Amino acid sequence: MAIFNAKNRIIECKIVYYGPGRGGKTTNLEYIHKAFTKQRAGEMVSIDTQGDRTLFFDFLPMGLGKIRGCDVKVQLYTVPGQVKYASTRKMVLKGVDAVVFVADSLEIRRKANMLSLRDLQQNLAEQKKSIFKIPLVLQYNKRDLAEQDMPIVPLNVMERDLNSKLKVPSFPASALRGTGVGATLKACLKLTLHHLQKELKWAG
Amino acid sequence: MSGQEYIKSLIKEAELYQSQGLLAQSKDTYLKVLAFVKKSPNFRNHKKLEGAIADRIRGLEEGLVGVNRPALVPDLDPEVQNLIKNLFSFSEDQNTAAMEGAMALARFGQYERALEEFRKLLKRGILPLAAAKNILRCHLALSSPNDAIDQYERWVSGNQLSKQQLEKIRDFLQGLLERKGIKASLPAVDEPGPPEALNRGKEGDVLDISSVGIRLSEGPRKGKMVEFDVTFQSGDVISVVVSADEKELLEALKENVVLPDMQFYSPIAIFKGRGVVSGKTKIRSGPKQGDYMLDIKIESG
Ligand SMILES: Nc1nc2c(ncn2[C@@H]2O[C@H](COP(=O)(O)OP(=O)(O)OP(=O)(O)O)[C@@H](O)[C@H]2O)c(=O)[nH]1
Ligand SMILES: [Mg+2]
Repeated sequence: MAIFNAKNRIIECKIVYYGPGRGGKTTNLEYIHKAFTKQRAGEMVSIDTQGDRTLFFDFLPMGLGKIRGCDVKVQLYTVPGQVKYASTRKMVLKGVDAVVFVADSLEIRRKANMLSLRDLQQNLAEQKKSIFKIPLVLQYNKRDLAEQDMPIVPLNVMERDLNSKLKVPSFPASALRGTGVGATLKACLKLTLHHLQKELKWAG
Repeated sequence: MSGQEYIKSLIKEAELYQSQGLLAQSKDTYLKVLAFVKKSPNFRNHKKLEGAIADRIRGLEEGLVGVNRPALVPDLDPEVQNLIKNLFSFSEDQNTAAMEGAMALARFGQYERALEEFRKLLKRGILPLAAAKNILRCHLALSSPNDAIDQYERWVSGNQLSKQQLEKIRDFLQGLLERKGIKASLPAVDEPGPPEALNRGKEGDVLDISSVGIRLSEGPRKGKMVEFDVTFQSGDVISVVVSADEKELLEALKENVVLPDMQFYSPIAIFKGRGVVSGKTKIRSGPKQGDYMLDIKIESG
C-alpha cells in the first residue's frame, strides 16, 4: 500500500519486523534508532507492557532522502510476537510493503520460529499478499549467545528450517550488539525499493 | 561433563532464558535440574540445591501468571493516540479514513478517545450507522451499559438518525446487551425520524470491504475472477477504479449488469455474494484521470 504522491514525488512505505515473541524485533528498532541518526525522521514510539514485551507495536519513521528524484520515507514497525496478540499483529501488518522476519537462534525457540513464519504467511494471505512475492528478508538473531555456550541452532539448520522454500536474503545478527542489523535493513530496503519501482513504474 | 558441570550449565541456561523474558523455557530448564538432582541423592548439598531451585521455579511461576494475565491496556498520550489514528487510516477517501482511524483507536483499547471521534463523525453525518454502533460498542467496552442505553434513548428522541437506522441500532444494542447477560427494554422507534434521504449515503449492515473479486460472465475472460481494490465504501455500495485500458472489462461491466458471483474481502472475513453495477463514471481529474469509477451495490452477503 505504499503511498506514492506523484505530484510532490514522495514515496512512503511500510516495513514490518515480524517474528516470535522475545526474538529481538524491538531491539532491532532500538539499535536502528540509535545508529542511523541521519535517517531518523522522528522519535521511536514504543507501546509495551510488563517491562518490555511489545503490547501494540513499535514505530520508527525514517527518511532516506532523494532516490531517483523521489523523496523516500520509510516507516518501520514491529508487531507483538506473543501468540496471544494475534489480532494486533494482523492490524499492524495491514498495508505492509515489506517484512523483516527476526528469528531467534536459541534452540528452544526453533519451533516458535517456524510457527511465527507460518502465522506471517497466513496473515499476509488474508490481505491477499503472498509470502513468496512480498519483499522479505530473514534475520537469524542472537548469534552472540554462541560465545556463552548457549544452545543455538546452526545457521545451516536455520536456513533449512525457514528459508528452504522462500530463498530470500538472510543475515546472522546480534541485535543487542547491533551486528547484522544494518545489513538486514539495507537488504530489505533494497528489495522494497526495487519492488516499488516495478510496481509504481517509478523511474527517475 | 561431570554431574556438577552439567547442573552448572543448565542453571546458566535457565538464567539466560529468564533474563530474556522466556520464562516458561527457564522454568522447564530448572525442572530438568531438579529432576537430575533428585536422581543423584549422593550429590553434595543436594537438599540445599533442591530448595534453591524450587524457590526460583516459584518465582518464575509468579512471573508467568503476570505474563499470561490479559494485559492492562494503558491510556496513551494524546500524541500517541493521534499517531495511531493517522497510522491506521488507509483509505484515500477522507470520511472512510476518519472512520478507520477511530476504529483503530477502539481496537487499541483507547475507548474514551474513540468515543470522541465517533461522536464527531456522527455529528457530521459521516457513516452514521457505523458511527452510532461503534459509540455503543465503546460504552460497553468501558463497562457502562447504562450510558449505551441512555445514548440510544437520546437518539430516539433526537433527529440525527432515521427511523430505519434506529431500528437497526436497537437490534444491535439489544444483541450487545444480551451477550453481556443484561436484560433491558429499549424504547421502540416510533417517532418519525428525518426522512432517509437526509442522511448522506445509505448504510446497510455491511462490513468494511477492502477488495472484491468479480467473476465475469461475458467477454474473452468469461468465467475468470478479476479482483479490484475498493477505493470507497458507503454502506452497501462499493466503488472500484477500472483502468481505461481495460476495454473489454468496461464493456462487460455496464450499468445495471448483475454480477451473480462475487467475493468480498474484508479485514475480518471473506464472503461470497452478488451485486449490481449501479453507477459508472469517468474520472475527470487527478492521477486516475480517464479511468472509470464503478459503483457496485452489494445485493447479498
Ligand atoms: N543475547 C542477545 N539477546 C538479545 C538479542 N536481541 C534481543 N535480545 C534480548 O531478547 C529479549 C527480547 O528482545 P525484544 O527486542 O524485546 O524482543 P521482541 O521480538 O520485540 O519481543 P516481543 O515484543 O515480545 O515480540 C530482550 O531481553 C533482549 O535484550 C541478541 O542479539 N542477543
Ligand atoms: Mg517487541
